[in-house]
Amino acid sequence: MLDHSLTLTEASLNPETPKQVHIKINGIELEVPEGENLIESAKRVGIDIPYFCYHPRLSKGDAANCRMCLVDVYMPRKNPDGSVVMAKMPKPQTACTLPASEGMAIETESESVVEDRRGILEFLLINHPLDCPICDRGGECPLQNNTLFYGPPISRYIEEKRHFPKAYPLSDHVVFDRERCIHCARCTRFTEDISGDHQLGFFKRGADMEVSTYAHTKYTSKFSGNVIELCPVGALLSRTYRFKARPWDLHTQRSVCSRCSNGCNIKIDYRLNELQRVNARLNEAVNEEWTCDKGKFGHDYVSSATRLTKPRLKRDGQWTEVEWTEAYDVLIEKLKAAGANAGGIGGERCTNEDNFLFQKLFREVLKSHNLDHRLGRYQGPASKPLFERFGYHSMGNSIADLEKMQAILVLGADLADEQPILFLRVRKAWRFHSAHVISAVTHVEEETTRVGDFAAVEMVYKPGTEMTLLRGLLNVMLAENLLPANSGADANKLKASVGDWTPDKAATETGVPADQIRAAARLLAHTPMAILAGKTITEHPQYLEIAAALGDLVEATGNRGNLNIPVLECNTQGAMDMGLLPDSGPGYQSPTGTGMNTQQMLEAAAGGTLQVLWLVGAKLLESYYDPALARRTLENCPFVVVNELTMTQTAEMADLVLPVASVAEKDGTYTNCERRIQRIYKAFDLAPDIKPDWLVFSEVAAQLGGGTPYFSARDVLRDIAAAVPMYGQVNLAALGESGVRWRYPHETPPATPIAPGAGE
Amino acid sequence: MSTSPASPVGGEAREPASLPSEERRFSAQAVAELEEIASHYPERKAACLPALWIAQREYGGYLTPSAIQEVADHLGLSFAEVEGVATFYTMYNLRPRGRHHLEVCTCLTCAVMGAYDLVHKLEHELGIEIGQTTPDGEFTLSEAECLDFCGAATVMQVGDKYFTNLTPDNVLQVIDQLRNSEDYTPARLADAIVKLHIPGSVPPEG
Amino acid sequence: MPILNLLFANRDVPGIQNIDVYEAHGGYAGLRKAVKMDRQAVVDEIKTSGLRGRGGAGFPTWIKWNGLPKNYDAPHYVICNADEGEPGTFKDRELMLALPHLVVEGMILAGYATYSKAGYIYIRGEFVEPAWQIRKAIDQAYKKGYLGKNILGVQGFDYDLYVHMGAGSYECGEESALMSSLMGERGNPRLKAPHAPLPTVAGVWKAPTLINNVETYAAASWILAHSGAEYAQYGTEKSKGTKIMSVSGHVARPGNYEIEMGTPLLDLLNAAGGVTGGKLKAVIPGGSSVQIMPAEKLAAINLDYESCAANGTLLGSGGFMVFNDRTDIVLLMKRTAEFYAHESCGKCTPCREGTRWLFKILDRITSGDGQPGDIDLLLNICRNIDGRSYCGLGDAAAWPIVGAIKAFREEFEYWIAQKRSPVGDNPLPPSPVVVNPLLALTPA
Ligand SMILES: Cc1cc2nc3c(=O)[nH]c(=O)nc-3n(C[C@H](O)[C@H](O)[C@H](O)COP(=O)(O)O)c2cc1C
Ligand code: SF4
Ligand code: FES
Repeated sequence: MLDHSLTLTEASLNPETPKQVHIKINGIELEVPEGENLIESAKRVGIDIPYFCYHPRLSKGDAANCRMCLVDVYMPRKNPDGSVVMAKMPKPQTACTLPASEGMAIETESESVVEDRRGILEFLLINHPLDCPICDRGGECPLQNNTLFYGPPISRYIEEKRHFPKAYPLSDHVVFDRERCIHCARCTRFTEDISGDHQLGFFKRGADMEVSTYAHTKYTSKFSGNVIELCPVGALLSRTYRFKARPWDLHTQRSVCSRCSNGCNIKIDYRLNELQRVNARLNEAVNEEWTCDKGKFGHDYVSSATRLTKPRLKRDGQWTEVEWTEAYDVLIEKLKAAGANAGGIGGERCTNEDNFLFQKLFREVLKSHNLDHRLGRYQGPASKPLFERFGYHSMGNSIADLEKMQAILVLGADLADEQPILFLRVRKAWRFHSAHVISAVTHVEEETTRVGDFAAVEMVYKPGTEMTLLRGLLNVMLAENLLPANSGADANKLKASVGDWTPDKAATETGVPADQIRAAARLLAHTPMAILAGKTITEHPQYLEIAAALGDLVEATGNRGNLNIPVLECNTQGAMDMGLLPDSGPGYQSPTGTGMNTQQMLEAAAGGTLQVLWLVGAKLLESYYDPALARRTLENCPFVVVNELTMTQTAEMADLVLPVASVAEKDGTYTNCERRIQRIYKAFDLAPDIKPDWLVFSEVAAQLGGGTPYFSARDVLRDIAAAVPMYGQVNLAALGESGVRWRYPHETPPATPIAPGAGE
Repeated sequence: MSTSPASPVGGEAREPASLPSEERRFSAQAVAELEEIASHYPERKAACLPALWIAQREYGGYLTPSAIQEVADHLGLSFAEVEGVATFYTMYNLRPRGRHHLEVCTCLTCAVMGAYDLVHKLEHELGIEIGQTTPDGEFTLSEAECLDFCGAATVMQVGDKYFTNLTPDNVLQVIDQLRNSEDYTPARLADAIVKLHIPGSVPPEG
Repeated sequence: MPILNLLFANRDVPGIQNIDVYEAHGGYAGLRKAVKMDRQAVVDEIKTSGLRGRGGAGFPTWIKWNGLPKNYDAPHYVICNADEGEPGTFKDRELMLALPHLVVEGMILAGYATYSKAGYIYIRGEFVEPAWQIRKAIDQAYKKGYLGKNILGVQGFDYDLYVHMGAGSYECGEESALMSSLMGERGNPRLKAPHAPLPTVAGVWKAPTLINNVETYAAASWILAHSGAEYAQYGTEKSKGTKIMSVSGHVARPGNYEIEMGTPLLDLLNAAGGVTGGKLKAVIPGGSSVQIMPAEKLAAINLDYESCAANGTLLGSGGFMVFNDRTDIVLLMKRTAEFYAHESCGKCTPCREGTRWLFKILDRITSGDGQPGDIDLLLNICRNIDGRSYCGLGDAAAWPIVGAIKAFREEFEYWIAQKRSPVGDNPLPPSPVVVNPLLALTPA
């Protein structure tokens, strides 16, 4: 076997090209990029060519099978005498795959094309159950719509239709109605081109051909939900949304997913103050049009029956629901007493507005710098791992940048799980831009990560041997001098750092075969090359050391700024920007004093010296890396107040629980792992007594005699813009549809957020 | 597989099936053959059809779910990919066949030359219908699409052999001949096809 | 006597499958000659011969041979389409069985002319017996140094031939589907020009690929052994040389006949001993995919691409099927429709749904449940398939039915009105009771 990626990587469907060609559509002359497929060209002049199987993000591989987009095509032909005539191609052609070429003309409404469409739709419908009245897709169904516009009024088919079980449960989230399938191959191509698990395929052939999983086993993709939106009929449906609403009953609100740091743009579909479903919202710079299943199906908590609707106060071990006034009275009293002896931990699910006012309350009113948001092992200076050396805190690249890489190293991560959207980009870089992907994981991650499936080199190392592996890689690069001269890295220092870690020596310690180390090193010596380090690294006892070694690697290979150690939680980035840190204030400016980090606060609280601990969505028991300490803290701390949506284990152990708004019930902004500030919008009010966190902080501050109360998230953002340099230009108008990435003051061009949509 | 939950019968939804047990039946020699064949192509995936032939032989004449898994693992393909291939081609058996699989060509020429009389004769003689297997597991009867030896209609393929110029009268001798023969079994067919890929192999005697 | 044995010249020589005998009869002389010629000269020889593809499409062979990049920079592949699946055709089978070296030599020539290092012969899975002959021939050719490294002492002419067996799919004879299958995928067709590059630019494994039919390669051997000019003497102005016709059905001496292109159709019929079992009713001259021709039209037809086309049918792959007047055309068409419904790969809508629908209607008519509008319905469905499907299989499914209705409309009307066969004692009895109502042939 020579090359295993001959047919596995794909040319993208709409290649980027500078060359323009002149074509004619229904007599309208226009200029389009050479090779653009004609469905896209037609859209430019507002001409609708109906289609099912075509999808701009899916490979040509199985495309052009529905035949709905047939059009008449005329090609210029030169006569012997040099004159040019337009020759009609004998057969109608599929616009979805026909590349635009100079002089070509197409007809989309000719009599025969109209008849062709009617014929195709009749074929598609002869075996279709026509059960639109009870189909979730009804009202938003391409098959229904195209039939309405282009279909035959009646069917001439009197034979028996295909029969399959209805609502076959395909995955935990997706049910499959095989009878409705029109075999467009969108779902199968999705698993091949995008998610890469290749779990859906066509089985059997001819009219018996059906979409299925291997031996009808469960479809277990982390991205299964996307096929629901891709399916142009009602064949693939959501198990949770099934029969819940009709599309025309739903209200839709723009939002951003709250389940991880990637910040997928989503649409929240709700009805009567109840969230019904989540769909992806297009953002080319972030999630394109995908979501992961966590995001698509993981928001039911928003409307769960267990949501808190009133403040709860614990009186001699008993919870009682109280009014906000009473809750505030208790809280204010405690805070007054505690003053600087109060600590606040929070942030990751909160908006920037929430976090900003939280730290403002502590720093300016309570004069306490005991602020943090980190629940993981590393709680050292925020500037240490990356900022001091590279001038940024988590990701050097934008998500979209990853596509441009020639090589990508994924280290110590179950990427599809930790950073689903980064995973999709990395895979896209391989599949559509033939990037070399190198995966280095422990056998634990190797079980689940899918990066190995397409990695050029998959290294599985013994846990804890990261440093050795990196030295081994650098060693090869030096030995085979693969490193650019002008990288600016100090060669001697490098030589010293790698010591005598020859591939073979490294192999014995890491368990990674030497030739794999060599192969990986050779591929990583490309530019541009990017590194993505995951949770195993950030939770690593040697975190700082490894980060430094990774720094050497990118510098030595001339890839300065391409080291990415992305944050994990929804708004961790924003929490840092807003100064939810003991050692740095809003915008990473050094604060007037320093306070305790999470670990120190917990210890102090456990020892009883910290009098009030305020947890804002920080689930200590559930997520703190040292649960035992978390428990002692909650048991011994004199007063614990919690802002929560439901009664978590942590909340159960608190003294006061305040019911706050979920992502669907408030306005505000999140900042994702690539530093993109994005808006969320209030969809509905779940209950009258639920408040957004920022309002709670604002009211408490006011009652403590600090600051003027804010009336809207917009007011808060205005103050953020004033207080945080990199947010200087940020306002709701600037954020627009797809948000903006902020830059550090020292970056060039300096602190101006990039305009929406601009290349990022 | 055609015997699995959602085979084409209307009715109740079921939970997805659990992953079939994983067995490994490729002999060392089978693996060697597979590697030899894989080396003929620039891409490992290309050995998928031959690998399925090997599997069909190693698994006794038909492909079980774990046969599919074994092929997929050898070639680094997904299970679904391989099952998709296995279910596309008619010569891969997804259910057991009798010791002799009678495939009567009923396509155009054979049809007009009386292939269906032949089929009816066999159905009557063997007491089975098209698609069924005799209780003693000796014969499975199928119709086949054109076997492309129309000049010798009616044609019947049994394993790796074509029986030609058959009529309702002379077909019974063939049946008797087969009854006590070890040759022309589905596994033999698979074996022959595997060998055909491999340089230097020679047909079984005769 | 219309027979003209060029390729078949040595068919009946005992032991011709053996390389020594083959060489003794001038075998591999053509190759020896060719490797002394410039590669372009070999292509030009094919051009002079006017040889056209024998797989059915009749595309000028030299254009393909000329289409591949003329260097060894990147891998090129030669493919022989030996998936012979067209009902009524069995010429490739006999060529492989009787003259395996003629085919192998042709593929080696192609390898030389197209700067290819590897060739694959894709043989349908059922053809075990012919495949063994090819296997032996290839192995012998290696021993004699006609394959392998520096063939016949030509530096850098390295060429390997591999056998690749199919597994039961007519569609895999379609060249792009064949490539899918060769790459280990389902036998689905692939995009063609202008939607994608030609095979000669990016075919199998995205590499320049030459694909020809068995008979085409065999003819190439003959041409290089003799000369393009000599081949071009035979045949008509546009259809040069000979064509092997597979004669079957109600005919005295069925079998393969090599005839000069342009031979009157009836001459071939007579050479094969004429119709048996009744009066001549119809002939399908080029395999199941082409239009059936009623007896009265046959006199006008000559067996070459142009004359067939002019008379509303096609020479196709040379599957010459003869039917006497006891044949029920409607039942024949039902069986044809069943074939295409069964062989449709299912990828595209018109073919997947349309072929099965055609079969169901014809099945209904021939079970006595025909409806008045059925004939127009059939014609309209054919219209919606023909030219709309992804590959030629759809067209091939539509043409015969349109042709049959054109020639024998009254028989369809009779079935629909009388609910029984127009021909007395029905020579094509209804197919047997089937187990799976959706699929007449046995399920996997
Ligand atoms: C449905 C279909 C089936 C075909 N089957 C065969 C076949 O069995 N053998 C063959 O040589 N060509 C077959 N062809 C023609 C091939 O696509 C291709 O034209 C031919 O192999 C090219 O070789 P040639 O130029 O030597 O004819 C088929 C075409 C179609 C559309
Ligand atoms: S299930 Fe939907 S997406 Fe998949 S092939 Fe069928 S119609 Fe297309
Ligand atoms: S959209 Fe073009 S064929 Fe389906």
